[in-house]
Amino acid sequence: MNNQSIKAGALMAGLLLLAGSTQAQDAAGGANDPYFYDNFLFWSLAALGGVVIIAAIAALFHLLNVMVKVNQIRIFQEMGIEAYQEEVSKQREPFWDRMYKKWTDAVPVEKEQDVMLDHNYDGIKELDNSLPPWWVAMFYITIGFAVVYMTYYHFTDKGPGSAEEYEMEMERAEKAIQAFLATQANLVDETNVTALTDADALASGQSIFNANCAACHGMLGEGGVGPNLTDAYWIHGGDVKDVFKTVKYGVPEKGMIAWKSQLSAADMHKVSSYILTLVGTNPPNAKEPQGDLYEPQAETTQPESTEAEGADENALGMNE
Amino acid sequence: MAQVEQFRYDNAIVRKFAYATMVFGAVGILVGLLAALQLVFPALNFSTAETTFGRIRPLHTNAAIFAFVGNGIFMGVYYSLQRLLKTNMYSKFLNEFHFWGWQAIILAAAITLPLGITSSHEYAELEWPIDLAIAAVWVAFGVNMFGTILKRRENHLYVAIWFYIATWVTVTVLHIGNNLELPVSMWKSYPVFAGVQDALIQWWYGHNAVAFFLTTPYLGLMYYFLPKAANRPVYSYRLSIIHFWALIFIYIWAGPHHLLYTSLPDWAQSLGTVFSIMLIAPSWGGMLNGLLTLRGAWDRVRQDPILKFMVVAVTAYGMATFEGPMLSIKSVNAISHFTDWTIGHVHIGTLGWNGFLTFGVLYWLIPQLFRTKLYSQKLANAHFWIGTLGILFYAIPLYWAGWTQSLMWKQFTADGFLQYGNFLETVTQIIPMYALRALGGTLYVAGYFVMLYNLYKTIKAGSFQAYEEAEAPARVATAGAHKGEHWHRWIERRPVQLLIGSTIAILIGGMVEIFPMVMIGDQVPTIESVKPYTALELQGRDLYIREGCISCHTQMVRPFRSETERYGEYSKSGEFIYDRPFLWGSKRTGPDLHRLGNKYPDSWHYNHMLDPTSMSPGSIMPVYPWLIEDDLDNSLLPAKIMALRTLGTPYAEGYEEEAIADAQRQADEIAARLRKDGIDGEGLEQKEIIALIAYLQRLGTDIKPAPQAGN
Repeated sequence: MNNQSIKAGALMAGLLLLAGSTQAQDAAGGANDPYFYDNFLFWSLAALGGVVIIAAIAALFHLLNVMVKVNQIRIFQEMGIEAYQEEVSKQREPFWDRMYKKWTDAVPVEKEQDVMLDHNYDGIKELDNSLPPWWVAMFYITIGFAVVYMTYYHFTDKGPGSAEEYEMEMERAEKAIQAFLATQANLVDETNVTALTDADALASGQSIFNANCAACHGMLGEGGVGPNLTDAYWIHGGDVKDVFKTVKYGVPEKGMIAWKSQLSAADMHKVSSYILTLVGTNPPNAKEPQGDLYEPQAETTQPESTEAEGADENALGMNE
Repeated sequence: MAQVEQFRYDNAIVRKFAYATMVFGAVGILVGLLAALQLVFPALNFSTAETTFGRIRPLHTNAAIFAFVGNGIFMGVYYSLQRLLKTNMYSKFLNEFHFWGWQAIILAAAITLPLGITSSHEYAELEWPIDLAIAAVWVAFGVNMFGTILKRRENHLYVAIWFYIATWVTVTVLHIGNNLELPVSMWKSYPVFAGVQDALIQWWYGHNAVAFFLTTPYLGLMYYFLPKAANRPVYSYRLSIIHFWALIFIYIWAGPHHLLYTSLPDWAQSLGTVFSIMLIAPSWGGMLNGLLTLRGAWDRVRQDPILKFMVVAVTAYGMATFEGPMLSIKSVNAISHFTDWTIGHVHIGTLGWNGFLTFGVLYWLIPQLFRTKLYSQKLANAHFWIGTLGILFYAIPLYWAGWTQSLMWKQFTADGFLQYGNFLETVTQIIPMYALRALGGTLYVAGYFVMLYNLYKTIKAGSFQAYEEAEAPARVATAGAHKGEHWHRWIERRPVQLLIGSTIAILIGGMVEIFPMVMIGDQVPTIESVKPYTALELQGRDLYIREGCISCHTQMVRPFRSETERYGEYSKSGEFIYDRPFLWGSKRTGPDLHRLGNKYPDSWHYNHMLDPTSMSPGSIMPVYPWLIEDDLDNSLLPAKIMALRTLGTPYAEGYEEEAIADAQRQADEIAARLRKDGIDGEGLEQKEIIALIAYLQRLGTDIKPAPQAGN
């Protein structure tokens, strides 16, 4: 069971309460989406509040019942048995029994002969019970819902259509992202990226590579559908900035995907760094070299990398 | 008093349908179990075209719906109709024609579906010759039923028969409406309507196949067999009337709830939502009348397995018909649609309602037909508990899987990226749920075989009476009406008026939704850049249909951030105007493919179809080696082009003459690109895979990169 499964369970509890057309999507946004917990907390509290209110009402009814009984005892003590019996006979059935009868309006089984219809279909007879009032009420409520819904969405300007809803969602997301990014510093992009060297980052780069890149470039970077990444030849440049840029924007005309919508900057940073560690590994079944020979200029990247390390940690931190 | 007449009930035809029900129930659930296991163990696709999931899944649905439930309906109708009307069936010839015709259709389905002969319309996959056969057999059933009704001895029609009549007329209308197609050859046709219109008509059909094949006839059976088994009067005659008319009137409107957030215009989607909500009460009317009929018999429910099966069936019906409307609310649908939640939902209906009611009826009926007692109450009770457990193990994991996957699809990181950008992660996450579901299916199957054994022993012990003596007074047509009777009695004496009344009730909703979509041009805004498929792409598209890719892949990017980020621009109705049939799909076991074009190189697709795990490690997609081995058959291509032009696709005059050459030109280009990537093979240019790649690379590219085409 991972986090998602637990959230699925939480969703199960809260789902039917969510009626607003945009609310549920926000809720489905999950833990990192502030809407999820806001909504979930709100509805949990609302449900809890509802239970408390129902309990309070039940307690009040109980109290009322006790008071009625006490009053009857007082009448018995003060005015004798006859007055008491008269008082008790005035008292009607308990509230819930009355409500049950009222809302089901069913003829009791013992008296069903009174409402038995005279037809007999191969031994099957029919009773003429009333439509259950709660059922009728439910039917009317759903019809009312239908009228309100159609009016709101199609006869007024208020209800958004699917396309408007989408635009609103995108705007909201954009704002949330900007707000988040404003709190982050030292974002990596192709102008300032430097190769990472620490083992954790490279290990994580490797797992990103295996999940996303290996299908075309081979598990060892030996190439396949895509070019060999282990030789010194690069079609789009072998500097970390070039590799990052190729990963980020892709080369759509050759089938290389633009990963910017699927990997965060930090992830692209890690995987680009990992790719550079593959150079010179000479894996088996390597594809023939493509592109131009690239020779790294060790002197220029080396001093930068120490300086960049602090910045990189920040950049990595944003995805965790 | 009218003279008492002697006649004989025909039990032979009932027994035939009962046997067919028992056999095809086993087939339907076993094929379903295979499909469920294939999702856990892809090797069970056996690398063979005929046994691959895309062809097995329609085989399962058709077997379960039309073979199992279909024969179950006929079994119940032929038994109850004669007794409710106090007469024998109208025509022995029609009995036999109906029975053998229906089994022949099932046989044809069992052969053609694995061969990939399919229209791809869900639950209407069978090709046009079989459609015609279905129409003929269905009409024969109708004539036989109405002939019986007209020669009845009972003046009034009982509520079960109202449901039979509504079923008959609605299925007729739906079957014709959704199978309007232009044949290209004996086993290939194109639907008359394209894209959004085809989608609307298909789901008007698809939804109401559930309504009028899985629901209304079974309500009719419930109204006969439940009071018989419980020996109790039906709770409320008035409730029967209201819920019958409300149900058949409202059901028809609800089809568009299968198309929420698609390219269907918003007004039609909203009608789907509100009519689904209004369906709760009419559906529950049936459940209430069933459950409340058991008042005073609840002590017997504890002991009698027949009543137990019926109670769970009716309860499952009530749950499914409440859940359905909830799933039709757009905010809920945004989570549930395309996930396994839907699969869980329908199986509550099919395993619970249809399955358990059928079992209850069989346990009651077989001893009646064979004039004996059920062989073992204990085994029937065991079946009940194994089956119930099976349903729970089936449904709960799928609900869990649906919610989990949907949340994963929609999960963004704070910096605005999809947390699970790789669709496959959301699949591998739920494979354990698929395994549990297969366990649930296994339990259900096990219970089923316990029943078969029990019934077999019962049949062995009993003696069958093909023609059962009966007597009833002759009908006196005027005797029915009396002062102060309920107004509805009037129509119960008039089957023709009842037929006309229900026909009107079921036509209104469909007409209001479909006519504007088909007649009014501006419902589908045209997009300048959308062009017909080339000859090779068309061939590839027909392969996509043949392989049943639609079983697992949608072609409908909904207007959600989580989908446009993952797939690209959301789908516009104008993009589908040449899609005959539409291929939007209803389930994403794999990712959406509408914007697949140009995403991967041709060689990626080649390798992926040969072995999906080579490009996507851990993928549960089957392998398609035959696409790489088999040559593309272009012999029908000119006829296909001409057929599509007749239907309105603007292929230039004479294109059919050059279509084959044009297809070969495009195939050569693709093959050349593949060879450049190191893929070689004898006659690569001729292979089916080339056509499929051409189609996949075309998908969604008409508006990519996307100018904001109005919708």
